[in-house]
Amino acid sequence: MAPPTNRMVIAILALIGLCVALYLWAHNAGLTGPIVCGVGDCATVQSSEYATIGPIPVSSIGVFGYIVVLALSFVGLQPAHRDSALIGGLLLTGSGGGVVFSGWLTYLEAFVINAWCQYCVISAILITLIFLASLPEIPRLRGGTS
Amino acid sequence: MKKFYYLFAAVAVIGIGAVAYNVGNGMFGSAVSAPIELDLGNDEALVELAQGVEKGDADAPVTIVEFGDFQCPGCGSFALSVKPQLDGTIVASGQAKFVFYDFPIVSIHPNAFLAARAARCAEDQDKYWEYHETLFRHQARWATASMPSSAFEDYASDVGLDGGDFSACLSSDKYADVVTANMELGTRMGVSGTPSIFINFNGQTRRLSRFDFESIQQEIANMTGTEGTN
Repeated sequence: MAPPTNRMVIAILALIGLCVALYLWAHNAGLTGPIVCGVGDCATVQSSEYATIGPIPVSSIGVFGYIVVLALSFVGLQPAHRDSALIGGLLLTGSGGGVVFSGWLTYLEAFVINAWCQYCVISAILITLIFLASLPEIPRLRGGTS
Repeated sequence: MKKFYYLFAAVAVIGIGAVAYNVGNGMFGSAVSAPIELDLGNDEALVELAQGVEKGDADAPVTIVEFGDFQCPGCGSFALSVKPQLDGTIVASGQAKFVFYDFPIVSIHPNAFLAARAARCAEDQDKYWEYHETLFRHQARWATASMPSSAFEDYASDVGLDGGDFSACLSSDKYADVVTANMELGTRMGVSGTPSIFINFNGQTRRLSRFDFESIQQEIANMTGTEGTN
């Protein structure tokens, strides 16, 4: 079976998302200089109380999430797993959950923090694209191929 | 699949390379974050260098002096609870001026020296007191950071500073001598812990053992021979 194109797309998008999340994580960990922010007010968003959930930086959640999606898509490209309904289901639910989470963060930027962070917006777009690229997994869940 | 792997590798090199570049810049910056050697000829040179930051009427008869450490929880409590009361009453009325001297206890508060310099950098843009309060308000976050510079730069943005100028100041050695001189001055005055509060009136200086608002008011009243004022 040919490698599923949608999973290749997901892998590339997840890699980009991982790089974005890694940069934010490194900034929150104090490992970088001033945050590079061409559009919006990244510093205000990253220093707000909503940049963490309890003791956990939101960027850490992003890093973890993108690593999981990247790993799933890579495994799903291997010949033994190209038809895997489990991987398809995990990609769908994982990215779906990511869309909901990103939606909440976007709401916070728009109506609570009243500032936009370009990296958060980029990540929201990426996870949405990943979710859309996961939709072709639905036939696999039903036991078919896509 | 080969094309996919080539594309994946290209994106990985570019993306992770960009992150690594920013981390490298941050880790090898030159921000001075510890006291420096001072070569001062005499006590007058020390006093001249060890400038505190004043608030209130420069001609006020009473001076309230604090030697403080931005990473000290007690100083945070003082800054956020007591000082606003002082600002709103006896400083606003012109009876007293408030002077803050840096006394970072670097042996237990490793980020305090850099925080003190950050506040001085904010003073360059006339936002010292806003930044002073912001540092104490967010103390829990930056106090545990292994490299707090990025947090300090975030706060600079919060209080409306020019980020480039602030960053250039923070990543240099500017004010390292001033903060070190503040520490030396405090040591010579017998300061060993923070906050340490002194009241000066008419050439007399007293160190307070209690620094809640009422105690400060009472001490000022005792020294000036007046009842507590508002």
